[in-house]
Amino acid sequence: MTRIPLAGTVLRGAVSTALIASLMSVSARAAPPVDVSKWSSEYVRSIAGTKDFDTAADCAKVTPLDYKGRLTFWYQGVFEGDPDLLRQYYKDFFATFRKTYPNIQLEEQALTYNDLLDKFRTALLGNAGPMVVRLQILGGVEFASKGYLQELKPEDVGYSTEDFWPGAMKSDTWKSKTYGIPTNNETMAFIWNADVFKRAGLDPEKAPATWDDVVKYSKQIHDKLGISGYGLVARKNAGNTPYRFLPQLWGYGGGVFDEATQHPTYGQIELNSAASKQALQASYDMYVRDKSVPVSALTNQQADNQPLFLAGQLGMMISHPSDYDVMQDLKKKATGSDLLKAQTAIDNMRYGLIPTGPDGKRAVVFGGSNIHILKPEYVDGGKVDQAAAKALICFWTGPEWSLKMAYAGSNPGNLNGFKTKWMKERLETTKFLDVSTSMLPYGVPFPAIPETPEIMNIVVPDMLQNALTGTMTVNQAAEDAAKKVKSIMTGGSL
Amino acid sequence: MTTATGLADARLRKKAKREGILQQAWTRRADYLYVLPAILVMLVVIAYPIYYTVDLSFFNTPPGLQLRDKVFVGLNNYVVILGSDVVWRVTVNTVIWTFFSTVFSFALGLGSALALHRDFAGRGVMRAILIIPWVVSAVAASYIWKWIYHSDFGVIGAVLVGLGLAAHPPNFIDSVSTVLPSLIVVNVWREFPFAMIMLMAGLQTVPEQLLRAAKVDGASAWQRFWHVTFPHLRGVSTVTILLLAVSNFNSFIIPWIMTGGGPSNASHIWITHIYELAFGRQRWGIASAYSVLLFLILMSLGYFYVRALSSGDRKERGA
Repeated sequence: MTRIPLAGTVLRGAVSTALIASLMSVSARAAPPVDVSKWSSEYVRSIAGTKDFDTAADCAKVTPLDYKGRLTFWYQGVFEGDPDLLRQYYKDFFATFRKTYPNIQLEEQALTYNDLLDKFRTALLGNAGPMVVRLQILGGVEFASKGYLQELKPEDVGYSTEDFWPGAMKSDTWKSKTYGIPTNNETMAFIWNADVFKRAGLDPEKAPATWDDVVKYSKQIHDKLGISGYGLVARKNAGNTPYRFLPQLWGYGGGVFDEATQHPTYGQIELNSAASKQALQASYDMYVRDKSVPVSALTNQQADNQPLFLAGQLGMMISHPSDYDVMQDLKKKATGSDLLKAQTAIDNMRYGLIPTGPDGKRAVVFGGSNIHILKPEYVDGGKVDQAAAKALICFWTGPEWSLKMAYAGSNPGNLNGFKTKWMKERLETTKFLDVSTSMLPYGVPFPAIPETPEIMNIVVPDMLQNALTGTMTVNQAAEDAAKKVKSIMTGGSL
Repeated sequence: MTTATGLADARLRKKAKREGILQQAWTRRADYLYVLPAILVMLVVIAYPIYYTVDLSFFNTPPGLQLRDKVFVGLNNYVVILGSDVVWRVTVNTVIWTFFSTVFSFALGLGSALALHRDFAGRGVMRAILIIPWVVSAVAASYIWKWIYHSDFGVIGAVLVGLGLAAHPPNFIDSVSTVLPSLIVVNVWREFPFAMIMLMAGLQTVPEQLLRAAKVDGASAWQRFWHVTFPHLRGVSTVTILLLAVSNFNSFIIPWIMTGGGPSNASHIWITHIYELAFGRQRWGIASAYSVLLFLILMSLGYFYVRALSSGDRKERGA
């Protein structure tokens, strides 16, 4: 019954090849993939709630439910900026997994985004890693290229490669081999406070169309109201910084390499191009020239912008749809006049597409996480329980849990998650979700090269800080960053 | 001939000395057995890591390769460090950080110790209160101070703006010129109780009769401090300063949590720079070379520390 509209979609669709591949796969589900070419918020609504999935039954085909084993697992878990709702889903996931696989002894460990890479790298040096790890999207290629990860593709746990975003699969691919499966994928949206806009003399229902508009709006808000206009984030060693600066960089037509093009080769460094410098200049103008963004941007993370926004002290920011839930959670802690301010900010919260560059180019980081199995020699104890590992991975990357674990802040890695009843429920209950899902086609994956974490977490924030503190001019900061990237890529000294 | 005789004498003296040492070792063999387990543990947890760090410092460890694929480069990592612009900036930061943290912690600790040495109502409570910063976890303290300093809605900024003393909250940790002094203030706040405790213990050793005699002789409060109290504190002061210096040189938590070495590397000190090189950039070889140099610097401070302690022992034996 549920296949009829999908079959129709596929017959009409531009991805018939993908469908055939999917149908021909040995996938336990063998469900036709979502038609990515038709992606829009209407399309997402039309497929939501059209198919039921039985996770336990599906995963039983990969690993029997009475399987007895042991599994160690590290994952990038919830952190201070996530809503309580997500915490509950994480608890539910592990409780359900344990109930479904009562004989698998699961030893899980949650780490925050900024700590996971450091700890994982250190553990690998001592051959003391976990059997399975869920890493941020920019981490997989680094570890695959060094030979720490086992080959792992969706078909190994009963799904099809076509069930996942091609961009996400790229982040799991090194030298044409696949080393992981996406758990969730996301693109952020642009958020603004309509009340602040109105008081600053801006159209309260209209997001800035371009990045140049963001600079102008930010100044206008600051000049008129004395509060910060745009929530710039430029902290070092924090994932929030590249996630917010790269959309700006790509929008202006720049990039670290050519990652924002259709077929990136990562051969040419573009950080010092005129377009990249223009993007950096926009940040400089807001921070130094106009002083229209938080002074604390150099030490801030997005979690620091949230209370500012809730207090009506910030006009615009880039974030997930989950920020709406975070605001609701934060509001519970407010009292008296603060409560009123919080309610005003929530009532006036608006979501829109990320602004474009001067040439109409719109881009956003295609983020998310992937799950991987390590090679036994790098695991504490020297053994990997393959069946237990696949059971967990099947569970997490299936339509049900890949959606639930991304309920508020992200989107399911498994595209079939968009067809579930929980997606329908999510569309009804999670405000502004449409905007975020509409941004998915604009998603640009980080460069799929091992050097990406160092470039994104250190070189890019350094460039921003050098320019914003006046340590270097915009031109010098961009040239310096390009030089550092070149040095990293050629394996040269620092 | 004279030279030959001299050499022979020297050899004889050496032999006698060696026999003396061996004799002593044999006589005290039980003592060596008692400390043997501790030495074995130290060999495993200290000596091997030191050896491994030194070894690694001679290799290039490109971020795209596993550590086992490291490339031998001899002393090149040391050459790179000494020729790098960053190292000098980080060294200047480290010297400023260590010097001012140590001096101000000691001075504040000395003042507090002298104040608390006098008998007054509530002295016990004051002692307990002043020790709190030292007892509080450095991680928690760093986060609290980060909010106190926050450049947009920090406590200090809010108070100053509220009192009309400033139009905007001051920029403490988001400015390259103020970040290091701001972090030093936090470090001094956390460390001065340690100096205070050490010096309060030292003050117990100052003979009361000497102070009374000086007072009878008409010495002023400053003269009594300078000529009687301070000389008695010299030993404990040296040890305290050296311990503070070593601890500050090695200090990681406050700068890392509060600024991560930023903005624009203005608060990077050696230890945070090493951490970033190793764990953020995976340049284990060059980070190891930095660590070896840091180890040598700290060992030289350690030598003076041991000498200060031994001189105390020698004085006691002499007395």
